[in-house]
Amino acid sequence: MKNRLRELRTAKEWSQSDLAEILGVSRQTVNAIETGKYHPSLPLAFKVARLFGRAIEQIFEDQEE
Amino acid sequence: MMSYKPNVPNEICPGKEGYSWQTDRRVNSWLFLAVLISAASGFFFPGQVRELPVAWRTMIALSPFLILPLWAGSVVRWVRGMDELHRRITTAAVLFAVSACFFFVLLWHRLEVAGFFEALVPGRNGWDIGTIGHISLLFVLFYGLGYSIFNRRYQ
Repeated sequence: MKNRLRELRTAKEWSQSDLAEILGVSRQTVNAIETGKYHPSLPLAFKVARLFGRAIEQIFEDQEE
Repeated sequence: MMSYKPNVPNEICPGKEGYSWQTDRRVNSWLFLAVLISAASGFFFPGQVRELPVAWRTMIALSPFLILPLWAGSVVRWVRGMDELHRRITTAAVLFAVSACFFFVLLWHRLEVAGFFEALVPGRNGWDIGTIGHISLLFVLFYGLGYSIFNRRYQ
């Protein structure tokens, strides 16, 4: 699963630590999501989507489609 | 959006970045107490404790095991405060440690029954690793191994 989290985060000029603090997760989790090593749960994905004011599918892209 | 700081596994790993003595104490104090009681009863068992009535001996022998659920409760509370990735890694590491401890103790027991340790050191009747101290040490070692294995894929 690809995602645009890094792109959206850098557009806001946030560091991984800043985003982690806002989302209430660790920096390692943000990094693992950005690099595609970890797929977030639905609640976390919704949280990310709400934070950036976008739909989930605009941030997380299912590569099987 | 509200933010909170989640618990991280390094908080209870001495020497690691982010280690917190307060958190370590909060999570592991029951285990420390169980190890202390186990060591004390192991020390006194050959002497004074053997003279006590069987009900007392049973209580002394089982008391560390009765404390372990309290330790498990504090570990569960600590793990619940983690974010989802760390919760997943820690749960996998704990399951790995429990399974590995079980396997190790079982293997050790079978070797003891087979007379392996007696053959290794003649005159020695075997080594008891069924104490809380030994099992805790094994658990910590296997947890560390499991954590490094399961954490590696997310780094």
